[in-house]
Parts: sequence; structure tokens; C-alpha cells
Amino acid sequence: MIGLTNVEKYYGDYHALRGITANIPEGEFFSLLGPSGCGKTTLLRAIAGFEHLSGGSLTIDGQDMSRIAPHRRPTNMVFQSYAIFPHLSVAENVGFGLRKRKDINRDARQRMVDEALDMVGLSGYGSRRAHALSGGQRQRVALARALILKPKVLLLDEPLSALDKKMREQMQAELRRLQRQIGITFVLVTHDQEEALIMSDRIAVMFDGQIAQMDAPQTLYRRPSTRRVAEFIGVMNFLPAARVGDEMFDVAGLGKAFIDRSQVMNGAGTDCVAGLRPETLSILFDGSDVPDHSFEGTITDRAYYGDMTYYDVVITPGTAPVTISMKNRAGRPILEPNTKATVAWDPRSLIIFGA
Amino acid sequence: MKGGWLRIYAIVYLIFLYLPVALLPIFAFNDGTIIAFPLQGFTAKWFLELAAIQALHSALWNSLFIALVTATLSTLLAIGAARASTRYKFPGKAPIMGAIMLPLVLPEIIVAVALLVVLLQLGIGLTSWTVIAGHTLICTPFAIAILSSSFQGLDASVEEAAIDLGETRWGAFRTITLPLVAPGIISAFLIAFTISLDEFIIAFFLTGAEPTLPVYLWSQLRFPTRIPAVMALGTLLLLASLIILSIAEYARRRGIARTGGKDSGGFL
Ligand SMILES: Nc1ncnc2c1ncn2[C@@H]1O[C@H](COP(=O)(O)OP(=O)(O)O)[C@@H](O)[C@H]1O
Ligand SMILES: [Mg+2]
Repeated sequence: MIGLTNVEKYYGDYHALRGITANIPEGEFFSLLGPSGCGKTTLLRAIAGFEHLSGGSLTIDGQDMSRIAPHRRPTNMVFQSYAIFPHLSVAENVGFGLRKRKDINRDARQRMVDEALDMVGLSGYGSRRAHALSGGQRQRVALARALILKPKVLLLDEPLSALDKKMREQMQAELRRLQRQIGITFVLVTHDQEEALIMSDRIAVMFDGQIAQMDAPQTLYRRPSTRRVAEFIGVMNFLPAARVGDEMFDVAGLGKAFIDRSQVMNGAGTDCVAGLRPETLSILFDGSDVPDHSFEGTITDRAYYGDMTYYDVVITPGTAPVTISMKNRAGRPILEPNTKATVAWDPRSLIIFGA
Repeated sequence: MKGGWLRIYAIVYLIFLYLPVALLPIFAFNDGTIIAFPLQGFTAKWFLELAAIQALHSALWNSLFIALVTATLSTLLAIGAARASTRYKFPGKAPIMGAIMLPLVLPEIIVAVALLVVLLQLGIGLTSWTVIAGHTLICTPFAIAILSSSFQGLDASVEEAAIDLGETRWGAFRTITLPLVAPGIISAFLIAFTISLDEFIIAFFLTGAEPTLPVYLWSQLRFPTRIPAVMALGTLLLLASLIILSIAEYARRRGIARTGGKDSGGFL
């Protein structure tokens, strides 16, 4: 559907996109995730046609886009600022793109606008002035305005970042539902890893104008290919490790364990780093059996989140603590700092990175 | 007591500023040729006398023509400059914009003399068009200042959104940007028009055989009997300027209200 091959973009001397290659199939919810300034917007705007490529190629539906002006591309965009036309009514905003379509008469246009407003939950808002709407409503108008043209690709630039938390969560679910319902390709730009994980079929993690990893959310979370990706998505503990056999690793404070090849990332030599997510570690409360793989440590800090408690546990005095997250269950105590704890871990959820 | 002194200061300030101007309409309706108190009685004959002076009429038409052309040129130039300065980054932008805005603070007499020297060197005769050139030079910075604030208040992505929805570049500018900055354009046009209409120094130096209204007005001051009529003419000019500037400010504010923006200055 969207084919990006070695896409390059320079702003003067600044190298904003460095050899981006990706294929986004039809109907996929694809996200570009990365820290601010990594080039997400630039890539999205290049797909929309607002940025010229300095190199490489872009195809949509098999058609080369290099000579297609933005107003003739089968893409529509939801801008970060929503870009609502402030002097037009909601209905005029939503119907804006239809004015150019000679095959659609007034009545049909009116009906399509009503349908589009209905789809985003704004029935009856047609005659309102656009600049009097709330942030969430503007967002919906921008969405209806883009979707009414039935694009092959919908491009969204941080569409939810200006909304408050409740509204954002609601819109995340709604966007996902809309995308399934109409079945077109969505390309979402976000710097919020949680948002990307929740919504996407596939995520491209970008750093410094390059795609660091492109995978389904679960793969990305469980098998991040580099430390930087692992750090950007969720929380991960890093411990120094050494390869002591073909698939045998000695992890500082944890001891030796057999680690499957699939968990060893490219670039891991003799000296390497072991990564463990907080939820793959668990504190053993009194009475539990001690499993094969466990270690002793001292709790140095804890943060209570209601449903979860996060503990910092130091294994060897003088080293950095590891973070452990525990579900708060009935009968499970909240441990205080300076308590000794036995922690179970599982070699199957450990990842080995290059040092 | 501090507030008291400030209040007195403000009142004295306003009196100094507007008393001379207030004398204009007073003597315009005074039934006497000598500009002095006590007043002689009420009359409108000076206004009627104005209607009879042929030279005045041609000066008026000349001024209106110059103001109209100047306002049109300045506004068109300013639309381009304001859009470029608020939307694009380009090398040398700061010095270029500085140079364009400089006539705003340059003494008019310097501009006038410099233009006169250049025109004479080039062998270009003085006509209404030379006045238009001079006026465009000084009116454009005002128009740019007004339009820059209009363009600044505009989200750059609305134009792209229109393109994204199928408009061409020009179509997007026409259907989205122009309506949104229209109040600014009207305001800039009217202010340029007023400045040109009232301007004296450049017109005095660069005018050819046909004087503008302020130049004609000045030439009549030599004839004491004409002074009341000059007062009447001044009153009319003052009134016209006030009305035009009020419309300009109304247009600017309405534009802000229409797009739900915040007021960020303007000249009035
Ligand atoms: N028009 C431009 N001119 C110069 N540099 C730009 C321009 N647009 C973006 N950049 C630079 O390119 C980099 C990537 O920008 P962007 O794609 O907006 O990042 P993101 O959306 O990931 O935050 C940034 O460092 C930014 O400063
Ligand atoms: Mg961005």
C-alpha cells in the first residue's frame, strides 16, 4: 500500500530522514513512534506531499508519488493543530473537500456531511461555528473532514496530544474502532509509547531520522532489538552480563542461566547487558516456594499506584537497584523500605543486548 | 496624591494634543476672516465657498486618485511581504525586512529629497505617479505591520489542510487565507489610503503641475482671506480621516472576533 524505499530528507545541512524503508499494507494501523525531533512529522508530511524527498522513493497503491502534488494524493491528514477553518461552520469544514467534486450534488453532499458527523459523534453540530468548539470536538471535525473524502490512507500527526487524559483514552478507543470499521490504512505519529502500543497493528520506532525497529506491539515490547528501543518503550532494568558458554550467560547478581538464541539480540559479544522488565520479576511473599531462579535483595524504595506497587531492590550493595512491579492483591502486604526480599525471575523473559 | 498628579498630567497632555485640532472646526464655522476670539457668529458659508473653487476640486480628485492607487499598491506589496516574513525562512530575512520597514522611522523630508534627486537624475518628470511612488514607499511599512499581525494569527496548517483536502495552492490561498486576513487587508488599505491622503512633505517635493489637497491647502495659507476656507477644508479632511480610520479599526477587530483569536495590537 505505502512503500517507502531509502527515503532521505535534508533541511539544508540537517539530515532529518536517513534511509527510511518500510512497507505499510492496506488496512494496517501503523504508528511512527519516537522522541520529539526524530523526524516523525517530516516523514508523515513527506507521505502527504508537503515535503519533497531529497532521495529514495515513495509509492502509494503501487503508484510513484514523486510527481503527484499533495492535493492530488489519495491521502488525507489530521493536523496536530487540527487546522480547523475558523471562519467556516462545522458542516462547511467537513464538506470542504467535497466542493471540488462535480459528481456530488448539494443533497448528496449534505447527506455525506451528516453521515461523517454522525460517524464521529457530532450529529447536530453542523451549523456551529468551528472556532467555538472544544479541543475534543475540533479533533472530531478534523477527522470527519478527512474521512469524508474516503482516502486510501489517513495520516494523523499527534492527534491526541492536546487532549486531557480521559478524553485521550476515549479517543484512542474510538480511533481504533473507526479504523477497523472503515478498514483503510492509518499512519499515526505519536511520541507516547503507551498510545502506540494500545492502538497499532505495527509500530516503527524512530531515532534521529532512522527506523530503529519496526514490529508488532508485543514483539516490540518483549523483544526490543536495542537498549535504546527497550528504554523508550516501557521500563527495563539493565544488568551487566557475560557470555560464558554458547547459550549460557552470567548475569550480575542473578547468576548463570541458559538463554535461548531468540532472546539474544544482534551485537551481543562476550560482554553484554541483560534486560528485564519490572513485571517479569516478582517478590516472593512468605510461604511461597522458592523457584529455580531467584535472588536476595533489600528494598530501598517503593511507589504505590493503587493497582500496582513498584519496588526498588538492591541486589549487591553499591550497585543500582532493579525495579520490580507487583500487582496489589488481597492479602498481599505492601512492603516497607529496608525489608529483605526474595525475588524470582525467569530466564525466558530476559533479553541480552550488546554492551 | 500620585494618582492625582498623573491625572492632571494626562488631562494637560490631551489638551495640548487636541486643542489646536479642536480650533479647526470652531473657526471653520466662524463668521469672520480673522482667526481670533471672540467668535463672530455661526456660518456655513466657508464650506459653500469651498464648493466654488475649481482648483480645489482638481486637487481633491488628484489626492483621491493618488491615495487610491497608493493604497492598492501598498496593500498588494504588503500582502506578499507579510506572508513571506511570517511564513518562510530565507537567508537575509532580517536585514531585508528591516530595510522595508525603515521608511517608518526615516524623516520624510530625507525620503522626499532623496527621491527628488533620483528622479531628476533619471530625467523623470514630476507627476502624480512620482507622488504615488513616494507614498507607496512610506505606506507599505504600515500596511506590512498590520498584515503581519493578521498572518501571524493564522495557523500555518490551515492552508495546508485546504491543499490536503483537494485545493490547489492558489485555491487554498483564495478560499482560506484571503478570507481570514481580509479584515487585515481592508484595515491596511484604509490606513494606507488615509496616510497618502494627508501626506504633505513628499507630495510637496514630488508633485508636478497638479497639487494634492494638502499641498493646495498649504498654498492657500498665503492669502489671509482664504484662511477660513482652509479651516473648513481642514475640518472636512479631519472628519474623513477619522471615519476611515474608525472603519479600519472596526474591520481589524471584527476579523479577530470572527476567528476567535486574541487581540495583539494594531495601530489604534
Ligand atoms: N522546515 C524545516 N526546516 C528546517 N528544519 C526542520 C524543518 N522541519 C523540521 N525540521 C527539523 O527536522 C527535525 C525533525 O522534525 P520533525 O519531523 O518535526 O520531528 P518530530 O515530529 O519527530 O518531533 C527537527 O530537528 C526539526 O528541527
Ligand atoms: Mg512532530
